[in-house]
Amino acid sequence: MSAIEVHQFAQCITCHAWSPDQTMVAFCPNNTEVHIYNKSSQGKWERVHILQKHDQIVSGIDWSARSNKIVTVSHDRNSYVWNQEASEWVPTLVILRLNRAALCVKWSPKENKFAVGSGAKTVCICYYEQDNNWWVSKLIRKKHSSSVTSVAWHPNNILLATTSTDGKCRIFSTFIKGVDSRESLSSSSLDMKFGEQIVQLDLSFSWAFGVKWSPSGNTLAYVGHNSMIYFVDDVGPSPSAQSVAFNGLPLRDVLFVSERMLVGVGFDCKPMVFAADERGIWNFVRLLDQRKLAPSGTKYGSQISEAFGKFYGQSKSTVSNDAVEPSRSHGGVHENCINSIVPLKIVDGGVKLQLFRTLWKSGSLGFGKPTRIFFMILGCVGKIVPDLH
Amino acid sequence: MANTQRSYLTCIRNTLEAAMCLQNFPCQEVERHNKPEVELKTSPELLLNPVLICRNEAEKCLIETSINSIRISIKVKQTNELENILTKRFLRFLSMRAEAFQVLRRKPVQGYDISFLVTNYHCEDMHKHKLIDFIVQFMEDIDKEINELKLSVNTRGKLVATEFLKQFL
Repeated sequence: MSAIEVHQFAQCITCHAWSPDQTMVAFCPNNTEVHIYNKSSQGKWERVHILQKHDQIVSGIDWSARSNKIVTVSHDRNSYVWNQEASEWVPTLVILRLNRAALCVKWSPKENKFAVGSGAKTVCICYYEQDNNWWVSKLIRKKHSSSVTSVAWHPNNILLATTSTDGKCRIFSTFIKGVDSRESLSSSSLDMKFGEQIVQLDLSFSWAFGVKWSPSGNTLAYVGHNSMIYFVDDVGPSPSAQSVAFNGLPLRDVLFVSERMLVGVGFDCKPMVFAADERGIWNFVRLLDQRKLAPSGTKYGSQISEAFGKFYGQSKSTVSNDAVEPSRSHGGVHENCINSIVPLKIVDGGVKLQLFRTLWKSGSLGFGKPTRIFFMILGCVGKIVPDLH
Repeated sequence: MANTQRSYLTCIRNTLEAAMCLQNFPCQEVERHNKPEVELKTSPELLLNPVLICRNEAEKCLIETSINSIRISIKVKQTNELENILTKRFLRFLSMRAEAFQVLRRKPVQGYDISFLVTNYHCEDMHKHKLIDFIVQFMEDIDKEINELKLSVNTRGKLVATEFLKQFL
């Protein structure tokens, strides 16, 4: 029940974002540039723009849906907000005040602010200053004891969840006078001061990545490097948490398809689907990219070589009788780790998921409905690297 | 004997598959730098617990992982003096040409015979399972190479001695 569309953009992709009308994709092909590709009417992808302003690898891109702005952050401690004027993208200065690399960026739901997580153990919340035509930042300096790997905005535009390599997930208030209005928090009794830590979740004993809020903002999910995914309901003074362990290598990023379904991607190169039942207990459901592996040539070779001795010398692994079983590639769409998953569009009850960018392959575009797992995944297949020896 | 070697190598392979989950991570200590954290060890939260896999007292493998790099150190079986010398020379020969191998470390970690350093950049350029295949194959081949070298040294020694002593017959 999954349709896959695969396209190769580059050998390795660090981060990506979709345009509001889903025809263009912006990504960083593991260098200092941002490439924007447009899907023409014939279904072919063409490169339309290259954004070159950063000195080091671009680690985060986000494309705002309503105001059509692209924000990019890089390991060179800089960030730019790109506006499209005529057919060119023009960068606007962002005063980030960071002294280490920036790792991730996300626009807030109202798109008047964006949050940047950094290796300086701080989070920068940037907002626009009209008088000088630049974006200024306020920093959340305390509380984090290691790099901030991922940020996620709550739908109310004030709360921000962050994950860090110290294993903790924290939720802060980012209320800025003059930018946010008081009504958004009138219903809750949460503290409104900027930089106030609301909750600190200490569920993982390894690094935490990929935090996301559910569409209503009621549930929070993040992954730990110990192959576990954590779900927290009713975030506030008394949260209730669930830890779900799963087989396989750790995840890197998650995405809520609906209130009760979530897709996780990571080192296993195959997306994993998790769902909550009526009682609200989350469980692993299935992998998305299952393909039958054709019987591998090397395995056949080693069986023959056991019978005939050392006659087959094509690859070293088939020569010896006592050869340890060589590992095979997964046979799925992605051949290397999947970095991130971003939604393409939210359509009524169905959700179109988006791309995963893998370190090797470029993206996967996924469309899914929460009732049935019907996905269309557009991915990229990289070239095969020759054997090391 | 072959069975214990196979289970030793399978154990190493499984550990490497779990440990080689690396990602690009800029240095927290120095701005604009990107260093393998397993070599630096300045931020303990970025390091994972090292795993030591021992086949017996003489053969072991230490796997240390961090967020962007993994270091694999191997101690090869050396039963007598001749094997000791041969192993040292042969592995030093390989380590000096570490650039050709890319994932090899120029100097082995203290207490071991040879070390590999795999970073996230290697994982981006090469298949992860091929890297693991390479390392496990390397370990298998080292044993065979040392045995062959030992045999050839002994054979040559016998030949030379025979030839030399013929003149006294």
